[in-house]
Amino acid sequence: MKAKDVKPGKVIRVLDASTRPIDPATGKPLEPRAQPGYYPGYDVLSQQAFWDAATRKVVLDRVRKIPPIRFFTPDETDLFRAVCDRIIPQNDRDSDHQIVIVNFIDERLHENRLDGYRFENMPPDQKAYQLGLRAITEIAQHLYAKSFLGLTTLEQEFVLKTVHDGNPPAGHDIWKRMPVHRFWHLLVQDIVGIYYAHPYAWNEIGFGGPAYPRGYMRLENGDPEPWEVEEKRYEWEAPLGSPSADYGAIAGMSEHPGAPGQRGTH
Amino acid sequence: MKTPLFGAFGAPGPKHMLGAMQSIDGRMRKYGNQGEVDFCIVGVGSAGGVLLQRLARAGFSVVGLEAGPLWDTERDWVSDEAGSHKLYWNDLRITGGEHPLTLGANNSGKGVGGGSVHWAAFVPRLHPSDFRVYSEDGVGADWPICYEDLKPYYELLEREIPVSGPAYFPWGDPHGYPYGPHPMGGCGDILINGCTKLGIRVCIGGPVAILAGSHGKRPHCIYRGYCIQGCKVGAKQSTLISHVPNALEHGAEIRDSCMVSRINLARNGSSKSGTVTGVTYFDSQGHEAEQKAKAVIVCGYAIETPRLLLNSACPGFENGLANSSGTLGKYLMAQAGNVVLGRFPELIRMYKAPPAHAMTEEFYETDTKRGFARGFGIQTVGPLPIAFARQMTIAKGAWGWGMRRVMMDYNHWGAIALLGEILPWPDNRLELAAEKDKYGIPVTKVTFNLHDNDKKMIEYGKNKVMEVMSAAGAEEVVQEQRYAHLVGAARMGSDPRTSVVDGFGRTHDIPNLFVCDGSVMPTQGSANPGLTIQALAARTADYLIAQSQFGLKKGAHSSETPRIRYDLSPPDTWGKGVPHLK
Ligand SMILES: Cc1cc2nc3c(=O)[nH]c(=O)nc-3n(C[C@H](O)[C@H](O)[C@H](O)COP(=O)(O)OP(=O)(O)OC[C@H]3O[C@@H](n4cnc5c(N)ncnc54)[C@H](O)[C@@H]3O)c2cc1C
Ligand code: SF4
Repeated sequence: MKAKDVKPGKVIRVLDASTRPIDPATGKPLEPRAQPGYYPGYDVLSQQAFWDAATRKVVLDRVRKIPPIRFFTPDETDLFRAVCDRIIPQNDRDSDHQIVIVNFIDERLHENRLDGYRFENMPPDQKAYQLGLRAITEIAQHLYAKSFLGLTTLEQEFVLKTVHDGNPPAGHDIWKRMPVHRFWHLLVQDIVGIYYAHPYAWNEIGFGGPAYPRGYMRLENGDPEPWEVEEKRYEWEAPLGSPSADYGAIAGMSEHPGAPGQRGTH
Repeated sequence: MKTPLFGAFGAPGPKHMLGAMQSIDGRMRKYGNQGEVDFCIVGVGSAGGVLLQRLARAGFSVVGLEAGPLWDTERDWVSDEAGSHKLYWNDLRITGGEHPLTLGANNSGKGVGGGSVHWAAFVPRLHPSDFRVYSEDGVGADWPICYEDLKPYYELLEREIPVSGPAYFPWGDPHGYPYGPHPMGGCGDILINGCTKLGIRVCIGGPVAILAGSHGKRPHCIYRGYCIQGCKVGAKQSTLISHVPNALEHGAEIRDSCMVSRINLARNGSSKSGTVTGVTYFDSQGHEAEQKAKAVIVCGYAIETPRLLLNSACPGFENGLANSSGTLGKYLMAQAGNVVLGRFPELIRMYKAPPAHAMTEEFYETDTKRGFARGFGIQTVGPLPIAFARQMTIAKGAWGWGMRRVMMDYNHWGAIALLGEILPWPDNRLELAAEKDKYGIPVTKVTFNLHDNDKKMIEYGKNKVMEVMSAAGAEEVVQEQRYAHLVGAARMGSDPRTSVVDGFGRTHDIPNLFVCDGSVMPTQGSANPGLTIQALAARTADYLIAQSQFGLKKGAHSSETPRIRYDLSPPDTWGKGVPHLK
């Protein structure tokens, strides 16, 4: 069932077959791994002696020093953690190799570290998060008559998908103060920004990581450096029925072409 | 853990490093803020760095006030995307309009070197046609100067910064570069393959302000791909490493972490004229201080420059300094920078090599058959994981398992981008908002709307870039809309009723107040603006030096073109590089 088909007020139940990705050969969930992705054995941190000291400190601090929660309330923290778990699910990672996300976003909001701008029709980032979390709670109540935390992972995804699609069935007074697609952007851009800053994620995607003062020498044909590894692909499928497995334009993008990229390139 | 032969790389030593091998030797001269200096420069960025060096070398007392830090590149910069956030101007700005621009990391820097610290360092010149867009196409504006006025400064800066690129660059006014082209990385190969299949001329290995051979105390590129995070190597130019060391040697003072809040004016009686006396700023401790100067040159970027002039409004100048025309803050431009991403069956690993290393300007000039004025270029980019993931949230609407899946394929993706000319429009503007920053200065509100010609150009250009990506063999092609490179908003012109400064950067209204940065550009072409900005700065410096003998407070002595001061280049400029055409 697509989230679009969800009628406001109708309670749907989705069978929570598994929260883990599936091996298409056996149809069974894959065992959690220390390192998902197609570069088994690749460990970017094993190269840290080849990095400059300033970079080493920044990257290792990220792995070792998890900032305390100072901005979100305990309830908001639990809720937001569940939201992060759906925007970047980590059920294929074993518990020792999960990447902490909430604390780093909390730190940014606590320190009021901005990206240098705010859209004119958006509240300050802190307020946007508080309002957005409230709206997510209202959508969960509206669709399933439960708290977001009380839902199955698939149900949680359906709640978030209504925000992605720009047709949340509840929280209307909140969306009057903050366009849905702008909130979605803030949320996903922050979350992916934390996950893919982590060396575990670099291992997963086969990214070479810091390279000063050593540099790279094999520039073409996707060749690995001597210390990088070859790709070894395996098949996997998202948990059955997971709406986030499908790609689709963020709603509002065509009518409001107002979501340009945030990162400089050239 | 693997270790290098001689042990892990240690912490930086006590020297103040500017790149891996260059350091600041000797102490910086301090003028103190009691007396009057010859020149006060607001913002030591792309333009400000060049200007500071020139004026100091010519023997003037000059103080550069810079809102951000004087970076020690070994201590402060990292090979890490998230850890490089501090390079950008992250203070609040409000953005709106029908097509709001994202600011911060997407456009401007803070700290000595300014935007040249995090630029990708593509350095094409403008074309001769760029200077007469209104005459030729009936849109935009003409510049008060022509290509030939700037050409010697392009040539000069291409040697000073210096530029690596092909021996023959075929577009605009064809020319060659002093250093040879760089080797190709994955995205460069994609651009070449795609363009070659479609019969589009393409140029490889530059032009980029990245060293292909060592230069003075700067080593050549090591292809680590972190250009946008600041080049710790010192291979990629920033004015911090190319001009600032020489400026300091010649007695310039840089007061870093000093935010200028207003420019002070002495009004002539109750008239609408006057001269500036200096600036008020907040020093690194947050204390207010004043610096007096015979002339003030504002080099704060296309947002901060108009903001400062607007915020310096005073009796007689109620709409801001140098704004008798009412055009200050208007005609703000950004280039269309749509990023086109393609997935290939084979591996690309686009994080290696500088993101900037191949381009085409085949579509630069107006072609009436396309149904819009002016054109665009196509260039390589090389997003690192965070940038790529964020692009995927937009280009594919990815999240959840879809995001995890596409990111596992990061090494199969390549990226090239549009760089398109958006025309100057009066409604694309910035104003002071009601909200204030921590100094009590009103924050900027930027309003941006695309107009018909812009939309047509983007549609056509984006499709062309996607066509190139497909022709290169991508099995899936998606794109993300983006804008880059803010310029304009204090434009130059010969008519004081429709422009803010003259062709040398002197404000029409106040003889000893100058603007020198990207904000003076009346149009922008589809060349990245950085080289033009630095060339204009060298030209403004020559003008200031020539005019200073007559007293800058009196206004232009003669409109004659000043002598080009080839003797003021930083050391290591001459007798380097490979022989080149022209
Ligand atoms: C990711 C990225 C990639 C880019 N790539 C390229 C490229 O490949 N090629 C290219 O040509 N261009 C590129 N650019 C654009 C280029 O960086 C800018 O156009 C250029 O640096 C602007 O120069 P400027 O002198 O106008 O301002 P800046 O270089 O931004 O300098 C302004 C300086 O003034 C300081 N300042 C501002 N206000 C005050 C104040 N009130 N008091 C004190 N100091 C102040 C700022 O801190 C800053 O240091 C890129 C930009 C980005 C973001
Ligand atoms: S790729 Fe070259 S220019 Fe870019 S950061 Fe690395 S060494 Fe510097």
